[in-house]
Amino acid sequence: MATDTAHDAHDHHTPTGWRRWVLSTNHKDIGTMYLVFSILAGLVGGLISMGMRAELQEPGMQIFPWIAEFIANADDPVNAGKHLFNVFTTAHGLIMVFFMVMPAVIGGFGNWFVPLMIGAPDMAFPRMNNISFWLMPPALLLLCMSLFVEGPSGFSGTGGGWTIYPPLSTSGQPGPAMDFAILSLHLAGAASILGAINFITTIFNMRAPGMTIHKMPLFVWSMLVTAFLLLLSMPVLAGAITMLITDRNFGTAFFDPSGGGDPILFQHLFWFFGHPEVYIMILPVFGIISQVVSTFSKKPVFGYMAMAYAMSAIGFVGFIVWAHHMYTVGMDVDTQAYFVFATMVIAVPTGIKIFSWIATMWGGSVEFKTPMVWAVGFIFVFTVGGVTGVVLANAASDRIMHDTYYVVAHFHYVLSLGAVFGIFCGWYYWFPKMSGYMYSEFWGKLHFIVTMIGVNMLFFPQHFLGLAGMPRRYVDYPDVYAGWNFVSSIGGYISYGAAFIFLIGVYQAFKAKVPAGDNPWGEYADTLEWTLSSPPPHHQFNTLPKIK
Amino acid sequence: MMNHSIKFKGLLWHKLVAIITIISGLFSTTFVYAGANDYGIASPWQMDTQAPATEMMTNMISFHNLLLWIIGLTTLFVGVLLLIVIFKYNAKSNPVPAKFTHNTMIEIIWTIIPIIILLVIAIPSFRLLYEQRVIPDSDMTIKVTGNQWYWSYEYPGYGDIAFDSIMIPDDELKEGQPRLLAVDNEMIVPVDTTVRLILTASDVIHSWTIPSFGVKIDTIPGRLNEAWFNANREGIYYGQCSELCGKDHAFMPIAVRVVSAEEFAKWVEKAKVEFASAPINETIKLAALSAAQ
Amino acid sequence: MSDEKNHDYHLVDPSPWPFLAAMSAFVMAAGFIFYMHEMGDGLIPLIGLALVCIVAFLWWRDIVDEAENQGHHTPVVQLHMRYGVFMFIVSELMFFVAWFWAYFDASLFPDEIIQEARMAYTSGVWPPLSIRTFDAWDLPFINTLVLLLSGFAVTWAHHALIHDDRKTVILGLSSAVILGLLFTALQALEYSHAAFSMDGGLYPSTFYMATGFHGFHVIIGTICLFVMLVRTIRGHFTPDHHFGFEAAAWYWHFVDVVWIFLFIFIYVLGAGDPATMPAAH
Ligand code: HEA
Ligand code: HEA
Ligand code: CUA
Ligand SMILES: [Cu+2]
Repeated sequence: MATDTAHDAHDHHTPTGWRRWVLSTNHKDIGTMYLVFSILAGLVGGLISMGMRAELQEPGMQIFPWIAEFIANADDPVNAGKHLFNVFTTAHGLIMVFFMVMPAVIGGFGNWFVPLMIGAPDMAFPRMNNISFWLMPPALLLLCMSLFVEGPSGFSGTGGGWTIYPPLSTSGQPGPAMDFAILSLHLAGAASILGAINFITTIFNMRAPGMTIHKMPLFVWSMLVTAFLLLLSMPVLAGAITMLITDRNFGTAFFDPSGGGDPILFQHLFWFFGHPEVYIMILPVFGIISQVVSTFSKKPVFGYMAMAYAMSAIGFVGFIVWAHHMYTVGMDVDTQAYFVFATMVIAVPTGIKIFSWIATMWGGSVEFKTPMVWAVGFIFVFTVGGVTGVVLANAASDRIMHDTYYVVAHFHYVLSLGAVFGIFCGWYYWFPKMSGYMYSEFWGKLHFIVTMIGVNMLFFPQHFLGLAGMPRRYVDYPDVYAGWNFVSSIGGYISYGAAFIFLIGVYQAFKAKVPAGDNPWGEYADTLEWTLSSPPPHHQFNTLPKIK
Repeated sequence: MMNHSIKFKGLLWHKLVAIITIISGLFSTTFVYAGANDYGIASPWQMDTQAPATEMMTNMISFHNLLLWIIGLTTLFVGVLLLIVIFKYNAKSNPVPAKFTHNTMIEIIWTIIPIIILLVIAIPSFRLLYEQRVIPDSDMTIKVTGNQWYWSYEYPGYGDIAFDSIMIPDDELKEGQPRLLAVDNEMIVPVDTTVRLILTASDVIHSWTIPSFGVKIDTIPGRLNEAWFNANREGIYYGQCSELCGKDHAFMPIAVRVVSAEEFAKWVEKAKVEFASAPINETIKLAALSAAQ
Repeated sequence: MSDEKNHDYHLVDPSPWPFLAAMSAFVMAAGFIFYMHEMGDGLIPLIGLALVCIVAFLWWRDIVDEAENQGHHTPVVQLHMRYGVFMFIVSELMFFVAWFWAYFDASLFPDEIIQEARMAYTSGVWPPLSIRTFDAWDLPFINTLVLLLSGFAVTWAHHALIHDDRKTVILGLSSAVILGLLFTALQALEYSHAAFSMDGGLYPSTFYMATGFHGFHVIIGTICLFVMLVRTIRGHFTPDHHFGFEAAAWYWHFVDVVWIFLFIFIYVLGAGDPATMPAAH
């Protein structure tokens, strides 16, 4: 995306070479860096999951002792392999959540399109925007460093799961690996908080004349709600993991029973962040889907106000449901009942969104271009993931599913299918705008079909495994679970293969250089980014657009 | 409105989406019916829960079946709507898009109906929840302690029997013992008896579960959790540690053998002797206090 | 689209500071781990910290320059700053929520029966019987007055600034800074007389984390006020353009309010019965 010099007379202001990226104060360049970062992280996180699936393809220990011997030079390969599996699970969860999904939807698409959609020349704090990005590579680096230092005595890497519950994350893993992971989260968290401040200020303050809050595109709405969730939840995680640090290294006893502390306190703090976090990952995707569905149905969004306020409601209620992750810790029964109730409430605004998308398509003249195909796929698979969430929401049934593969199936349906489908939807939708080139429908749709087959084969059988009782975070499992695990692993390989079809499509688009034109989607792509050239000039809206 | 990309055959494409959607939909409804299971352990290719050995689990399964119907039909409904959109409102079949953006009635309906469905779920849900978590009068109490990476059981009131329960390694398995599930010393309980569990852990959090009983409860250092079950069928029931607890998390199974009252009495006598001199854990309290050191 | 910019937003020039700040943060974070695990010498985190401070200084110097000399801080840009600082303070507030959550979890539930280990530690009461707490009406109360006074001083200075009375501004700000320093000194004095140390279980943990984090904020706030003092002396700020000053004042008031909460909930309501406390050492 380096050849936009022809577009605008003032492009000689565009910094060039490494300075353009490293010193950037331009929301589009920063967005691009986020997207590249996210793709790389997605490939790494995916590769790690391939390791896990290969191990789980058959009962017994297959490859991890070997990997442990290979990368860590372990002298007790079997035990090192057991630990390494947990390290992989942890790294996979953290990388996918913090370094793939969030950078893609918030840093990437949010940065690129929030200013464009509200008619602003840039973000409110361009320098702060850049530090938000540049904190991410060091954060990832810290996480990678954790792999090579000691975790539990005698083994390297941190294997506490992405939820890092103490005491396993304190006395259970005294080595520095856990501290590396924690500090990595600190940096990524700081980046997110700064980003959230930037988005809120930008959206409140830089809307073009005439763009009232109720005229904002739904993607902007989704980013506004997301930013608030980040702002209010991320510091609590930072506090919690800071207490982990002091418990580990400075003798405090927040989570240490021998000093009166309570491991469950950490779980409350973690999930007070963690539950909003899952909506942080999905709300921007809701926004993307709304734009795409309306564009390709050639109809305005159905029930705009309900859509906007449903997202706000999801965001709000998202703060008061956290303990549904903790039904088995022995909470008081009334407390559990409250959390069951509150959690189920979220199905209502989410249902409003699902049905409003369908109503947007209803009566439309739907064109199934690649982004639309991903959007329709999203609506379906997200529903599958959402309704299993309702099963989990009921403590009475979660009792048998908690910490089994049923939960793994649930959250991959909303994340690895939901959020990832949304990311690809946004990618194909905006790729022409960002790069100036048209992508190939052939590769785009092939990517979709293979992904759809792969991920369903990968995650649907995991519901069966979970119901049948297979616990999660297991390196080896009783032989009775072999069948569905095998299917799941094959599906996993197909899914990861699909990511390479995606890369081929990207390569093809940059090679073919088919110009996209300002607006390849037609009049229903009516948000402001489509009024600009593709790619947009380095500084857009030097004269602010007026919205009627 | 120009699209310079390579054209992909539109119709073929619609069909593919439709087929995939239908298959996924069918998948989710068939598993309501599938699954023949043994007691106490899952069977190959099993698609639903393990067979119940307590009344509680029987109730949980019927509750889950209710949920399964609701979510299956919801998903099917959404899938069908999408199929209608795909076939009826695609650009070819419907070249002129409608213009509406609101319909208050339908919006009210799709707000109210989910609320009603959720209320339908909530009633049995809460009833069952209170049954699970309000501990009834019990006939006996067993203390359970999770350790890295084995379980310890204590039977106060039965001559203070106490023993550790450790997974049998693959190469020592006897005929018929399932890999990763069989243990050296099973927890033995009499049938038709309300057993109250008091649970804690000595190092990190573990979670004690027997799927067939419908029980899962975390064992947490410094805390004493409670749970209960009343097994109504003799046999052996397996579960596995269900909270990540480190390297051997996958290798600390739980095995409960439900026996007749007479057999239980016999076992108690034997166990009093057998476990009298065995090196056992400190009492729960000490275990809890020394936790996380 | 025309070439020149027809709006009041500030399109910031490319800048090395964000990148360098991020790298410095990395050095600091990694160094901090090395320090905690006694890997390498303890110099690396300090180098990291120094780098962070230097970069922050240079970054802010640019901002001040843009505001004072380049005229980039138009009213709308100042409004950005207002939103930004406000949101930042909100996020800080959520940090304190975490410490207060830990504190209330302990102080409101010292006697949950199932929390056996906690019962053993607290003896079922809060503060735990083994802890000799501070007398709220001694140093803590003095500190409350000190902070409140310095809050007044800042407001006084602000008032003077609006009336373009630079001398009073300087007077007000310097007293606020001095009171801030006094607070820190008194807090250090209090810590040095504590009858419990950080590793003495849950009470010291929550106490030191909440008050320590607050103290850290006091130091940052004092630095901010000091910078504002220097800027005032250098002739920055006008009656209608002084958001830097206001931001520092907001922050200071925020730190103030947090202290009030700490004082009420930890020092006053969390005070034990002196009769049953262990003796001071
Ligand atoms: C994008 C991320 C995302 C999203 C959107 C959700 C959405 C939901 N989640 Fe999920 N969840 C996760 C990510 C997500 N989750 C993760 C990562 C975990 C595991 C963390 C870990 O332990 O590692 C988890 C775990 C998790 C648990 C804990 C399980 C356990 O550990 O035992 C629970 C329990 O309540 C739950 C519930 C829900 C509910 C009720 C929703 C709802 O928001 C869903 C609402 C949507 C629908 C219901 C579908 C559409 C609605 C209709 C079509 C209307 C009609 C429907 C009905 C009337 C039913 N989730
Ligand atoms: C968004 C989050 C996300 C995503 C995408 C995935 C994707 C995958 N995950 Fe998952 N997973 C988690 C989040 C995610 N996961 C979390 C939070 C856990 C819990 C960890 C814990 O227990 O602590 C987990 C745990 C987990 C387990 C359970 C491990 C255990 O309990 O021991 C398994 C096992 O099969 C698994 C497998 C997979 C597989 C095969 C994929 C495949 O789908 C991977 C294929 C690769 C892709 C689909 C990525 C493609 C994306 C890109 C290339 C980026 C594109 C970007 C742009 C276009 C900008 N994951
Ligand atoms: Cu013990 Cu997992
Ligand atoms: Cu949740």
